Amino acid sequence: MSNFIEYVKMAIHNIMANKGRSFLTMLGIIIGIASVIMIMSVGQGTTNQMNEEIDSAGAGQIQVMCSNDAMNAGEYITPEDMDALMDQIPGVEAVAPGSGWTGTTATGKGDFSISLTGATETQPLFSTTQIKRGHYFNAQDVEEARKVCVISDKDAKRLFGSDDVVGMDIDVEYNNISKSFTIVGVTQQPENGTFVTYTYEGMPVYIDVPYTALQEYDDSYNEFYYIVVLADREMDSSAVSDQVVKVLDARHQSAGEDYFQVQSFQDIMATLNTMMGAITGFISFVAGISLLVGGIGVMNIMLVSVTERTREIGIRKSLGAKTSSIMAQFLAESAILTVLGGFIGILLGLAGAYGICTILSSSQGMDLSPGFSIPMVLGATLFSCAVGIFFGIYPARKAARLSPIEALRRN
Amino acid sequence: MEPLIQVRDMCKVYNPGENEVHALDHINLTVQKGEFLAIIGQSGSGKSTLMNMLGCLDVPTSGEYHLNGSDVAAMNDNELSVIRNKEIGFIFQGFNLIPNLTALENVELPLIYRGIDRKTRKTLAVNSLRMVGLEKRMTHKPSEMSGGQQQRVAIARAIAAKPPVILADEPTGNLDSASSKEILQILKEMHRDGKTIILITHDDGIAAQARRVVRILDGRIESDVINPNFS
Ligand SMILES: Nc1ncnc2c1ncn2[C@@H]1O[C@H](COP(=O)(O)OP(=O)(O)OP(=O)(O)O)[C@@H](O)[C@H]1O
Ligand SMILES: [Mg+2]
Repeated sequence: MSNFIEYVKMAIHNIMANKGRSFLTMLGIIIGIASVIMIMSVGQGTTNQMNEEIDSAGAGQIQVMCSNDAMNAGEYITPEDMDALMDQIPGVEAVAPGSGWTGTTATGKGDFSISLTGATETQPLFSTTQIKRGHYFNAQDVEEARKVCVISDKDAKRLFGSDDVVGMDIDVEYNNISKSFTIVGVTQQPENGTFVTYTYEGMPVYIDVPYTALQEYDDSYNEFYYIVVLADREMDSSAVSDQVVKVLDARHQSAGEDYFQVQSFQDIMATLNTMMGAITGFISFVAGISLLVGGIGVMNIMLVSVTERTREIGIRKSLGAKTSSIMAQFLAESAILTVLGGFIGILLGLAGAYGICTILSSSQGMDLSPGFSIPMVLGATLFSCAVGIFFGIYPARKAARLSPIEALRRN
Repeated sequence: MEPLIQVRDMCKVYNPGENEVHALDHINLTVQKGEFLAIIGQSGSGKSTLMNMLGCLDVPTSGEYHLNGSDVAAMNDNELSVIRNKEIGFIFQGFNLIPNLTALENVELPLIYRGIDRKTRKTLAVNSLRMVGLEKRMTHKPSEMSGGQQQRVAIARAIAAKPPVILADEPTGNLDSASSKEILQILKEMHRDGKTIILITHDDGIAAQARRVVRILDGRIESDVINPNFS
């Protein structure tokens, strides 16, 4: 159709001749597309941010729990089980015992509750936390149940007013037993994220101690109902999970008993992402309805335009315009209106998303940036194009089918 | 030779039933290629109605119309569009210009629907406007022109593509005698080029310039004579 360009030109001519009306017609589409784009990119940005933060806090982690049945049968996970997991499953980088409790301590700064996490020397592998002073305790510390501990710089400041605390002692009281732990390392606590909070006032002070050192308070220090396995981040953690269960079942002769339950970090992330996707999708759908309303607006204005221009259509037909030519001209007009509206809507939507993220970042202390993707923008453009053509067809047909003499007679 | 236009027993009844108007009443008319024909009659006698039929804009209530040997009643919408575009240059009594297009754009319209490329189109349209003496008004919109100027744009539009048949409904109705003369001169030139000209008028002086004069009265052909003085 070599004449196509001519019809597009006619359409543009007419849009320009009615600038105000054309803009109002587009407004519906602009608002619709802008809100969809804005919601989708804020949603995507939030999801990205969440994934990133949670990922740095816990990627590759697999939680292993003993079921009630196992505990009733007196089966717990032991340090030997943990060694077996390390030795027998390729890709397991570390295993952390889930032991610990909260006691109290008193310093010159006041009374604090203090939460002790029984750990092994592999604990640093579980997070991206950096050591700021001293060092993490080593295998020998664990072996010999030395009473040493690692504390974060923030908590050190809460206890002592300074983070230069390597070599100092913390007296911890629990079960009416008081022991002191020597600080060997200070970690740099990560900044609080939007979704992951590391500390706030009133939370207990956290310290890591060799899990073996907990025996002096409590005999059950080497029986765990809960451990965390760290798998190679590149590996499929559900495959590793299966192997963990297999190894534990073999060691406890509990195959088929459902003694050990695992939940991998991947599972949790998948659930979270599905949820976020559903929420974003639903809000986008609601915003999409406004797009539909915008489309109906385009149809309405095009119908008015056809009525107004009946005589013009008659003249064109009497000069030899075919039904298809008139149709093309009017369709081009509604398509241009919606595509242009869609384009403006995309720009406004992205600008709006940036605005929202900036406001949330500064007022809520969040760290958000909008996430948008080429498929999203392309999808929106195609959709607005489809809206224009779909809602343009009826008015265009109405225009094109007029008989020339009938159309000429109307004023 | 096959006649260009062959009309047999054509009737047109407006508002059938109540308020019937028999605008055309059993018209029989044959026009050969290359004729210069004037149709003359009083106001309301049915001239424009007949012109609409000949121009394939309207369909008769009864009777037959063969154009170039083909039955117009049997043609579909697209075929009619092509005929209106390629065969016929229509000069409407009411001009029928598109108000938001300039004179030049109005003249270009039928050329666009013919699929003529932009450059050729411009040249043809400009030449045609020049022929009717409107080279200084090409970028004006109809509302910025006098009645006579608008009429000349309508004429330029009809002749721009040099169609074989020109149907002119009162083309000099709004023009002074000097301009009328020029327009008639253009039509005569086109006739000399071999085009068929059908000219409607209620002015005997203008009709006298045509080779054949058909007089209609109340939708009927009253007389159909060859002009002995035709030069
Ligand atoms: N659309 C219509 N509906 C009803 N009657 C019509 C219609 N068009 C024309 N008529 C009637 O048909 C008759 C012929 O009209 P037509 O326009 O053909 O006259 P005309 O010869 O062109 O007149 P004029 O010289 O004034 O242009 C008139 O009586 C007119 O009232
Ligand atoms: Mg008339």
